[in-house]
Amino acid sequence: MMNDSILITGLGSISAAGTTVSESVLSFKNGNRICGPVTLFDTSLKYPVFEVRHIPSQFHREGLRTISLALTAVDEALAQSGLLGTVQEFRVGVCLGTTVASQLNDLEFYRAYRTSGSASLEPVDRYLKGNLAEYVAKNIGARGPRLTVVNACSSGTDAIGVALSWLRNGICDIAIAGGADELSRIPYCGFGSLGIMSVELCSPFDRDRKGLNLGEGAGVVVLETRESARKRGATADLFLAGFGASADAYHLTAPHPEGVGLVAAIRKALAQAGIEPGDVAFVNAHGTATPENDLAEGKALANVFGNNVVMLSTKGYTGHTLGAAGGLEAVFAALGLRERWVPKCAGFRDKDPVIPIAPTDRETKIAGRYAVSTSLAFGGNNAAIVIGRGVDQ
Amino acid sequence: MKVLGMGIIFNRGRGGSALRDALRQGWQPPLSEVQEKGRSHPVYQVPTDVLQDRAVLKGMRRADRLSKMAVIAASDALADSELTEIDRRRTGVIVATGCGAHVTTFDFLDGILDFGEAAVSPTAFSNSVHNAAASYISSALGVQGPTLTVTQFLFSFQGALQLAGAWLREGSADHVLVGAVDQCGEVMAYIANAKLGIARDGKIRPFASPSTQAVPGEGAVFFLVSRNGDGRPYCEVKDVRFGVRGEVLVPAELTIFDADGMVPDELSYASHDAPAAAVAAYSPLWGSMMIGSAFSCAAGALMLRDQVRYASPVPAGSDGLNVLSETFDYSVELIQCVRYNCSAENAVILLQKCTADRPVSP
Repeated sequence: MMNDSILITGLGSISAAGTTVSESVLSFKNGNRICGPVTLFDTSLKYPVFEVRHIPSQFHREGLRTISLALTAVDEALAQSGLLGTVQEFRVGVCLGTTVASQLNDLEFYRAYRTSGSASLEPVDRYLKGNLAEYVAKNIGARGPRLTVVNACSSGTDAIGVALSWLRNGICDIAIAGGADELSRIPYCGFGSLGIMSVELCSPFDRDRKGLNLGEGAGVVVLETRESARKRGATADLFLAGFGASADAYHLTAPHPEGVGLVAAIRKALAQAGIEPGDVAFVNAHGTATPENDLAEGKALANVFGNNVVMLSTKGYTGHTLGAAGGLEAVFAALGLRERWVPKCAGFRDKDPVIPIAPTDRETKIAGRYAVSTSLAFGGNNAAIVIGRGVDQ
Repeated sequence: MKVLGMGIIFNRGRGGSALRDALRQGWQPPLSEVQEKGRSHPVYQVPTDVLQDRAVLKGMRRADRLSKMAVIAASDALADSELTEIDRRRTGVIVATGCGAHVTTFDFLDGILDFGEAAVSPTAFSNSVHNAAASYISSALGVQGPTLTVTQFLFSFQGALQLAGAWLREGSADHVLVGAVDQCGEVMAYIANAKLGIARDGKIRPFASPSTQAVPGEGAVFFLVSRNGDGRPYCEVKDVRFGVRGEVLVPAELTIFDADGMVPDELSYASHDAPAAAVAAYSPLWGSMMIGSAFSCAAGALMLRDQVRYASPVPAGSDGLNVLSETFDYSVELIQCVRYNCSAENAVILLQKCTADRPVSP
């Protein structure tokens, strides 16, 4: 049975592809890839990144860049949902994923402590007041459940899954869900140490892909029970139909080579949505452009959907935004359904002979009503969501 | 949902028997001290020998202390349930943590400062990621259901437990290993002392006015929960709810407060208006932790199964509260575990004794 009881009443995004959802669509249309050297911190490393060039001043919070990004996307999503300024009137939960904002990793604080045995606690205070879900909830007046998901690169998708569980279990009526992450020196060095970053523009699923580019941003959806939307007179053309998650139980950093956990996660999401693989119009894949991820993911997607699935990665426009990725890609998948086209998988040139499927090599029209967005993470976490578009009126 | 198994590792040992012994024996000074830049602080650290378990930690040579604590507690929770056959593809994992693997994060920062950005340790980085512990749990136990790590500082465990209930109700999993883990290292001791003040004698005095001093702790607690009461469940988790000071709490027979000096002003506990017959705070047994609620929950679960009320280990300084001052066998049906944060918001976990004829709440 089709599961269309949880509506998507708002979308918000900020990334290198644009400060708003509509700017992102333009970037996809025009093939803009705004990537370059790091400007946010000093570094000796030479990996290019996708930085957000502009955060609207009203959302800027000094020293809390992830939160600034999140507030920007949340505001756009709330405005679209018609909830801006009225959140406190409803039972609204906030579930957001992140990686950087959850870590006490201020290098200067630690340097000072290490050197002198004493350090200003200002970075600690900033960390303690910077819990992502808590900060956002208080900022917008949400009084429902709050949870910050720290599941590495699948955090954003997992956060949307948590919100779906809340709504289906009556824990809240409306949920703001997604993810946010800033570009930080610590994961930048960390990913560098793992040898999975590229010194060139990333090329997801390409035969000659050399690794990922880091990015930053926030992607947020407003989820709402059909009953809640009806009561306040809100309408929506999109709904969140299903979520699935599964662990590889395989390795701390490498995905299972056959993507078994991802296959399980996608099948769970499809089952929850009450649809078959053939109902899915396209997949917005994790597609980091690392050799291992794209190979495992390509095999998993082919396993579930067959070799002719329409598939792309949007990381060629945003970079890998870590905890934000699942949120941003949920927004982009929803946009694909709404706009009825998906962009070219930026960076892709040649099919990899060992990957059974290939991503879009041009703007592609979409006819179906369902999209899947996938995330894979450190630790072997796999998550997938199914987004649906309502029947045309 | 019912608590089918429990695993705990803390400064007094490992397992339910260690918890029971600690509850019976009452407060003891912490055995360890953290040296930070010439200063020494008492802390409730897990003894190194308690972390030795080659069988459980097989293949985790490179894992950090946080992950090892989590894996041991999760493994023990599974074993404690005595369930020989559970579908591990339908078993989920939710790890709650206040600060995650910050000790490993600082190790990674050492690498940047000492060797430069291009020569840092990939092992330190991958172990510093918040969900490393959950990953080790799923690998060590072969659990392939949804696996999640969450953080909400003082309410991390409550959020995880609430979600575990939702997963079970909606059928996302048949069993969930839900728990919490945090670690105390040198830098955290510095921060705790600077922000909260660490009691020099290592003794947390719950409810002390105007402020309770903290004594940092570390450890892990995991529960195997399910909708079904297979085996011999500890108790049922009736509810997890969030509120603010002033809202009437449930009339439980015993309220366990997570008063541990983490909130600068613990008057919220002293002024709570629940009509509970008795209150207790067991934090002096394991120390001050953002995830201390998980330990309180473990104590509550044990009391409900054993039908014993344990004395609050440090009852002084609790004017106006009916603090349990003696340990005795006594019927206990309902226990609530209550935590407040700095904004006077609270989170309540309601635990109920399991009886064969009582229907399980969804």
